[in-house]
Amino acid sequence: MFFQQLINGLTTGSVYALIALGYTMIYGILGLINFAQGEIYMCGAFVAVLLLATGKVNFFLAFALGMAAAAILGVLLERAAFRPLRGFHPLVPLISAIGASILLQSLALLLFGPNDRPFPIQFTFSSVEIAGLPVSTLQVAILAAALGFMGLLVVFVRYTTYGKAIVACALDRDTARLMGINVDRMVSLTFLLGSALSGAAGIMMAVYYNATYPRMGMLPGLKAFSAAILGGVGSIPGAILGGLLLGVAESLGAAYISSGFKDAIAFAILILVLLLRPQGILRGRGD
Amino acid sequence: MAAYVLHLAILAGIYIILTVSINLIIGYAGQVSLGHAAFYGIGAYISALVSLHWHLPFPAAALAALLAAGLCGLALGLPTLRLKEDYLAIVTLGFGVIVDLVFLNLEVTGGPDGLPGIPAPSFLGLDFRPPWLYLILVVVIVILVLIAAYRLVDSYHGRALRAIRDHEITAQVMGINTPAYKIVVFTLAAALAGLAGSLYAHYITFINPETFGLHTSILILTMVVLGGMGSIAGSVLGAVILTILPEMLRQAHAYQELIYGGLLMLLLIWRPSGLLGRGKLSLKFLKREG
Repeated sequence: MFFQQLINGLTTGSVYALIALGYTMIYGILGLINFAQGEIYMCGAFVAVLLLATGKVNFFLAFALGMAAAAILGVLLERAAFRPLRGFHPLVPLISAIGASILLQSLALLLFGPNDRPFPIQFTFSSVEIAGLPVSTLQVAILAAALGFMGLLVVFVRYTTYGKAIVACALDRDTARLMGINVDRMVSLTFLLGSALSGAAGIMMAVYYNATYPRMGMLPGLKAFSAAILGGVGSIPGAILGGLLLGVAESLGAAYISSGFKDAIAFAILILVLLLRPQGILRGRGD
Repeated sequence: MAAYVLHLAILAGIYIILTVSINLIIGYAGQVSLGHAAFYGIGAYISALVSLHWHLPFPAAALAALLAAGLCGLALGLPTLRLKEDYLAIVTLGFGVIVDLVFLNLEVTGGPDGLPGIPAPSFLGLDFRPPWLYLILVVVIVILVLIAAYRLVDSYHGRALRAIRDHEITAQVMGINTPAYKIVVFTLAAALAGLAGSLYAHYITFINPETFGLHTSILILTMVVLGGMGSIAGSVLGAVILTILPEMLRQAHAYQELIYGGLLMLLLIWRPSGLLGRGKLSLKFLKREG
């Protein structure tokens, strides 16, 4: 029971971590919360599901196209809701992003209707024994894929020129510009990467819960933000750690405390973290 | 028809209280609250519960609603308002989700079925059941709230708040206790939302969690941005327009949220000062540099 809840928690937690990476990178470079991150997650899931429903593409192509659609949406969103408002009071882009989030959610509601869509293809998953305990291969696949994406991101940010340029912009935008870095392009690239990861997270959850619907991004988006704060906002390892911890805490809390309040656990943790250690576990720049 | 106009006028009055209160947070303290509907709901439920179980008269129930919502605001504001401005948005959004779950899961709040049979106010020998009398009650309270809000923003404290909004560090250097101000304003706004909740509960006489969800918080936010952040007259106008407009566009009901979302984005890009925020005050704080 405990072990099963732990695995469940790690699975959802790895998905929160993927979304949290988007939040944390965007926060790192712009100092803003992208409120519409959950809708980007939803967009990735919808594109993949709709493509698969046509029966003409295979799963991996649909997955890649879903991520690409989410990435494009993220870049467009930055152009429409953030870039025109740069230099304003931070309140202004924040409210604009809230507007974008509502707009995308209701647009999806109009286009696709309110009902859950099942995932169009059925996978047959068995369970494997790990250390003598049964684990679903679906959960193993989601965990492995999420960790793989995170590894790719970390390698990209640490070892490539573009990755280092993003870090430079996050550290000091003006100095980065003086060093010849095209800051606007790096901001776009950050949105592109963060949104692609959120899109991937959305598709994985669409498979995991076998449901895709317009409001699916709201709660995971909020929880992932809590995860980013928990780990230390602006810190990439922090977002991963925060996501996994939050997923496990939520799963154990739902099992042992109260399942009716499952969705409240993440926010209770968020408020506690802000009260006790606002910089997060891995000292981001929340304070 | 006359009854319908009365109904809309009462609702507009309640929304004016909500909009003015959240505008104190947004337009004067420079923070966003996305859980304002939660305070509205806390006020409504507390007011309903104390009248149903303890048979308290309306003024006492409204006071209880005001205090309960204010205390929740204080408890939420204390850890959050010392931090950067955008944290409050997420924390209040999370708080809204928690409060919604509490209303849904507790037995005393009636779960998803809500609370029926809330008594209409009757005090001072008057029975406020007829809508026109209730409207007078609402108008009196709205006027009191507006007077209080104008007195606040034109006072020393109002200037201190605007200083915090425009440049927090400078305000601090000038000796303003910025966290204390933000916490007091947030608490005050939450308390006023609680009062609005009480007015709503005793007017409709039935409440359930649906009324106090995120969409209501977004609606109030849209009213503020439409009217103009930092303009009290703008808040009144925004509340009135967005109470009446959806009724006139009944057939466009499905597009309502789409319109609110689009309105928020377009207004901020083309007219961040809103309809009435024309004074130099609003624009100056929105445009931080360049």
